[in-house]
Amino acid sequence: MLLGWVLTLGACKKDFGDLNEPTVQSFTSNATVAELNNLVSGTESGLRNNLALYLDDVGIIGREMYHFSNSEPRYVTDLLGASGATLSGSNFYIANTWASRYQVIKNCNILEEAATSTSLISPQEVSGYLGFAQTIKAYQLLMCLNQTDSNGIRVDVSDPNDLGPFVGPTAALAAISGLLDSAATNFANATIDYTLAGFSSYSDAAGLLQVNRALAARVDVYQSNWAAALTDLSASFFSLQGDLTAGVYDVFSTGSGDQLNTFFIPQNQTGEIRVAHPSYAADIEAGDDRIGKATLRTAVASLDGLSSNRDVWVYTSSTAPIPIVRNEELVLIYAEANIQNNDLNDGVTALNVIREAHGLAAYSGAMTSAALLTEMLNQRRYSLYCEGHRWVDMRRYGLLGTLPIDRPGDQVWTEFPLPVSETP
Amino acid sequence: MKKLLFLLVGLLCLAFLPQHSFSQSQTISGKITDAAGNPVGGASIVIKGTSRGTTTDAEGNFKLAVTPNSTVIVTSAGFVARTMKADDLGMDARIRLEEDVAHLDEVVVTGLTTTVKRRNLANAVATISAKELNEGAPAGTLDAALEGKIPGAYINANSGSPGGGVSVKLRGVTSVYGNTQPLYVVDGVFVDNTATSAGLNAVTLSEAGGAPTGNQDNPSSRIADIRPEDIENIEILKGASAAAVYGSRAAGGVIIITTKRGRPGRTKVTFSQDLGDIKVRKLLGVRQFTAATAASLSSDSATSVALAQEFTAAKSAGHIYDYEKEIYGNTGFARNTLLSVTGGTEKTGVYFSVATKDEGGIEKNTGYNNTSFRLNVDQKVTDNIKLGVYTNYINSSADRGLQGNDNVGVTTGISLSSTPDFAQLHPDAQGNYPDNPFAAANPLQTIALMRNNEGVNRLITGAKLEAILQKSRVSQTKLVGLGGIDFYNLETQLLFPAVLQWQAINKGTSIEGMTKNLNTNYIASVVNTLTPSDKLSLTTSAGLTQETGNYNNLLNVATQVIAGQSNVNQAGALNATQLRTKYQNNGIFLQEEANIADILLLTAGGRLDESSNNGNVGHYYFYPKAGLSWNLTKMGWLNADWIDNFKLRAAYGQANNVPAYGSKFTALSISNIAGNPGVLVNSQEGQPNIEPERQEEFEAGADFSMLKGRLGFELTYYSKIIDNFLMQASLPGSSGYASEWVNAGNLRNRGVELGMNARPVQTRNITWNTSMNFWLNRSMVTKYTIPPVPQGSFGYVLGSFQIQQGQSATQIVGLDGTGGVSKLGDAEPTFQMSTYNEVTFFNHLSLRFLLHWKQGGQNVDLTTLENDFGGTAADYDKVTNKLGVPNGLYRVMQVGVDAHEFVQNSGYVRLREIGLYYSITHTGIDAVKGLRLGVSLNNYLTFTKYPSYDPEVSNFGTGFSTGVDVDPYPASKRAAFHLAVDF
Repeated sequence: MLLGWVLTLGACKKDFGDLNEPTVQSFTSNATVAELNNLVSGTESGLRNNLALYLDDVGIIGREMYHFSNSEPRYVTDLLGASGATLSGSNFYIANTWASRYQVIKNCNILEEAATSTSLISPQEVSGYLGFAQTIKAYQLLMCLNQTDSNGIRVDVSDPNDLGPFVGPTAALAAISGLLDSAATNFANATIDYTLAGFSSYSDAAGLLQVNRALAARVDVYQSNWAAALTDLSASFFSLQGDLTAGVYDVFSTGSGDQLNTFFIPQNQTGEIRVAHPSYAADIEAGDDRIGKATLRTAVASLDGLSSNRDVWVYTSSTAPIPIVRNEELVLIYAEANIQNNDLNDGVTALNVIREAHGLAAYSGAMTSAALLTEMLNQRRYSLYCEGHRWVDMRRYGLLGTLPIDRPGDQVWTEFPLPVSETP
Repeated sequence: MKKLLFLLVGLLCLAFLPQHSFSQSQTISGKITDAAGNPVGGASIVIKGTSRGTTTDAEGNFKLAVTPNSTVIVTSAGFVARTMKADDLGMDARIRLEEDVAHLDEVVVTGLTTTVKRRNLANAVATISAKELNEGAPAGTLDAALEGKIPGAYINANSGSPGGGVSVKLRGVTSVYGNTQPLYVVDGVFVDNTATSAGLNAVTLSEAGGAPTGNQDNPSSRIADIRPEDIENIEILKGASAAAVYGSRAAGGVIIITTKRGRPGRTKVTFSQDLGDIKVRKLLGVRQFTAATAASLSSDSATSVALAQEFTAAKSAGHIYDYEKEIYGNTGFARNTLLSVTGGTEKTGVYFSVATKDEGGIEKNTGYNNTSFRLNVDQKVTDNIKLGVYTNYINSSADRGLQGNDNVGVTTGISLSSTPDFAQLHPDAQGNYPDNPFAAANPLQTIALMRNNEGVNRLITGAKLEAILQKSRVSQTKLVGLGGIDFYNLETQLLFPAVLQWQAINKGTSIEGMTKNLNTNYIASVVNTLTPSDKLSLTTSAGLTQETGNYNNLLNVATQVIAGQSNVNQAGALNATQLRTKYQNNGIFLQEEANIADILLLTAGGRLDESSNNGNVGHYYFYPKAGLSWNLTKMGWLNADWIDNFKLRAAYGQANNVPAYGSKFTALSISNIAGNPGVLVNSQEGQPNIEPERQEEFEAGADFSMLKGRLGFELTYYSKIIDNFLMQASLPGSSGYASEWVNAGNLRNRGVELGMNARPVQTRNITWNTSMNFWLNRSMVTKYTIPPVPQGSFGYVLGSFQIQQGQSATQIVGLDGTGGVSKLGDAEPTFQMSTYNEVTFFNHLSLRFLLHWKQGGQNVDLTTLENDFGGTAADYDKVTNKLGVPNGLYRVMQVGVDAHEFVQNSGYVRLREIGLYYSITHTGIDAVKGLRLGVSLNNYLTFTKYPSYDPEVSNFGTGFSTGVDVDPYPASKRAAFHLAVDF
């Protein structure tokens, strides 16, 4: 009799499904354009997850800024290497940024799988999605590598149950470069069905290709491929005389399900604040309008032996965009590549574009490649302040030892350890 | 399915002969009293070997027709049963019942619809009586009132906020990421105990990731809604060996609550009024600043000078404040009023109560109120059919303040932690609060202007139907159906107006949550009792169970709120989230109990369960159970005069814990950008084949009582094994997922529970009843298939939990100061002990107290660190460390080097409850039948070295990570006056 019940009860079995969200399966079985576009927008949106924390990480270790928080000591202890503290792979400052970047990569992989498996779109449309997915993957991998450097990153993560090996910086940069090239090939013959939020006039296939090459130029200089950098710049939206702010951005809004720029904190707050490292104002040339990126506070802020009288004022509202890549960086890449190629005049021309844009006189220092590189790094420091570059630049040029130490015992980290989840 | 049930009933009916009647030739009658001569109403007198009998009226009188040479058994809850020859009783019997100190004759639930006497019980089942619950020094809510009363339990308050919220773990951790909390069953209804967050995370960002809710929001638990005064008793089935019959949700144990019933007799009306006050239990104290220490708050020389001047100015103006005391020093007024009516006739029993309570908090604008209404009706429809309906309506409201961990520095504790005594936070004459230059928030302003309210409207209705289908001399078959619904509507409101210092970005936040939850369950079973002879009784029960849950939470987060408004549409931006969960569990059970001459009780049973939360929804998992109790005294082996009863027992059982809803799906979450709808893959990878956790428990023990029941012991050993425990395994971040659900390993809890009940003093004028319990639990992860990573706290730097093979499941690991990571502590206490005592003088004056000792066990205490970090810890300037620097500085320097400082022993000895009550039975006024007066103190005395507010704390909610302490709402103590009048 018991057996009889069991058999009959089997018919009562209930599976309520997922009542809250769509599942991956529903997106990877013959996806519609609308579904693919949801994945694209989700990917673009996901770029912003933990972005403020990434900027904190790079900005704090690169001695651009402090993040004072009464509730989170690790911004001023671990990240500044206080009292012999070490960076721990179990902590939020690496675990969260790393996870958010790879989450976007996973979304891109789902997008690629969905786009290649559906029968509802043309090959050109498929290329449009693949180009976007690969460009974003490359950009996200580069951000991870910026943090872990010689500890490496995993490049092949398409199968979560069989992840590829960790590769060191050289191989990783080559892979990132390869991804960008593959994306460029896709964009060359693509139809774009989707709308992007922060890509303004670079939203069509040609524009996306320009963005792709701009990122490729960044990777080139990281690889010291100076000639390639110049080639890629020429295919990008680089413009020596153009608007320095032209480019693509992570944008924010108060819309439903959207995000705000959490890096933004109003001026003169107390408690939870981001303040400029004192060296920013101390080292700046007189007349440089970029002092406006670190405005004077009405009261000095201090915590745990650190203090500053300037707020970081790069992102001036909770909907202020954060650059992904913009022309000012491309001009500086142009300068860097030329100086490294020993085309010092072209280098100086580009540096003067930057200097003049910020109210400074033309460069008058020595015309040696060493002096110009120093000047180039200085311009990068002020032009790209709190956009996630300083620490990476100083490491590229082996200059981390020149960054200021504020308290006895503080250290300047060269890289983050791998997140503990990666190192069983 | 229902058709099948009827078929089954029909089949069983056919299997037995029609009812059989027999003649009676004699009547006995008399009066039943307690040892002091007071009548015992509602006692039952049953003819042995039959189901025939009667109950006494309110004056203790009874009358019963019997056949010659029969034996009757007299029983009443709380008294030792007596067996007597009917022939000796006659027409005017005086039967005196002795109080059941060892509780041997207490009836304990062992099946879903069957019970046995504790004398024959194969498990250690803890019981809490109404007296222990309500007549000591009652706590504010039911969940808090359980603390210290359950041997084998480890109970922690999530925070001290009014309105409750506790974590209860029975016999160790039973799950890491699955449900660790017991199932609460009130009058047959499986009640919901979901902790629903009001969305505090949207403003505190205590958990990154942007979700508006998190487990650090310290919501109350819904079991706090139940009124302790309505409860007749609570039985606690601590593990699978006892709870197996409850199936899918029993892995954390089962807490069975039975509310009061009307009994035949005179209608009794009781009015009771409690008045009390609530104060903070302990303050940490604040740092006494000097001009020099004020200056040291900044490393900038100009600021240092300014700070020193600020201090001097404040000092000379007399504006130095102890803000901790000012904020947590509020005295909350508590009142509690209850009116109950109980009574009944032979056929109908009614219990009715209406009650209201209102309690203030130790922080202004916090508090709790609860109004409840209960009607319990039992009706004998015919001689063979009994129906009971138990209905409870509750309206409660809790204002809980803004407390705990946050990442923006705005909760009361965090903002206080960096506010020195010379800061000026008080409002001006117009009520404008100054900004707090030392923190992100001015806590005085936040407390005065914010709102964090949870309001509940809840209806719990249970019903029980018992129909005797067949009755003969040797056999009785009953249909027992019970079940009910638990429906509540929870409204959470958070309002942080734009004028608050820390609302500069959001310009006012209003978060409105609406939760609707409906749980239903039924148990339908057929119970047959076969008594072929005096020496053998067989009870067979079989049936079906079903539980469903349907939870729907809608949370609206509005920012840029129009001044003075709280409606979420009166705002510049609005974000909505919705969370639904739904499940259905079906079960089939069969149980057989054989009682052989009260010497041997054998139980065997099994359950088949399916759940919609499992990977394979249609698969039935089988969970067996078996028990044996062997009474040596009844066997005649132990015939010493001094020993009354000696029993050996053993039980084994299995139960499961279903996976969390949704763990089988890999989902995509909404992630929009600039009006483009987007989806981003969740950080949790689904596990389509997920299986329930299986818990296996074996327990064995010995119970003995001696000296005519004045001394009883209960010794229990248990071993509980959880197979396939569910882990939200961390995946390598590069997989794109943070975690996935896996059945990751096995863990084991072993422990010992020793109990003693005694009446050391029994004289004409003084009676002293005491019970003492000792318990300990040790857990070990015996198999673990995934890499160990820190869980449930803040990583190695500050001390963290970590599941690791060969280690205790609740170990706390962290940086050990020598560059490595080692075990620094364990949340599991070394042991716990508690003793409950009642001393009665002259039958009228009673002193009751409950003392609780928890030895060992560590918490992750970050409250002290926050205060050090903000430079305000009371002992900041003391120098008692090896480096010779101020202690506060020393502790901050340990961050990133050594986590020992943050893993603190949370042992304590606590006088949990003490109450003195005087009762008058003859008031001289006819209408007033009795009067009771009392005074009580709750949590007044604690001995602990724990540095933060209270060792009993669990800011990360009811899950696995107990004992994390991050600036909670401080614990409180209460003093109360009690008055009760019987009419």
